[in-house]
Amino acid sequence: MTRQYEVVYIFDSALEEAAINERLARFHSLLQQPSAEAPQVNHWGKRTLAYPIKKHETGYYVVAKFDADGAALPEFERAIKLDDGVLRFLVVVNEGAQPVPVTAGKSDEEDDE
Amino acid sequence: MRRPQKTCAICESGVRVVDYKDERTLSRFLTERGKILPSRLSGTCARHQRQLSTAIKRARQLALLPYIKGFTG
Repeated sequence: MTRQYEVVYIFDSALEEAAINERLARFHSLLQQPSAEAPQVNHWGKRTLAYPIKKHETGYYVVAKFDADGAALPEFERAIKLDDGVLRFLVVVNEGAQPVPVTAGKSDEEDDE
Repeated sequence: MRRPQKTCAICESGVRVVDYKDERTLSRFLTERGKILPSRLSGTCARHQRQLSTAIKRARQLALLPYIKGFTG
């Protein structure tokens, strides 16, 4: 079953933009969904961290949204964990404003937007 | 004597799902030390208070919000 996920990466801010893009491409290739469209990637850029992570005061934030099968996630997360350039990451099911399919006979309180 | 019911600031702003990436909004629901404000004080409704607490905890993991404000280890 595919679901929409959202992942936030915090990269080491010393990394070059090209190195970050190369890593993103590598991570996202693990989620290979031939039918699915490419993940929407949003670069926030360099930000100050609220507290130091691995002795770094700043990080390069990237947010990506993608559709994937849940079974592909463990491999994806493992690859990120092994990468020293990623200070921290968080994968969550995207619960943002999405069109909720209205099913007949079942009232969904999310569909009154 | 009952105090008048406070209204939920999140309901009033028309937001359905609280976003953990929006740390500026989330920081309104923190004490000056960075703890989560109880809904008793902030007046948020139960549904949004639940969403807020998850969102704040996620934002803390991502270093968008501090666990303890003003703490220098």
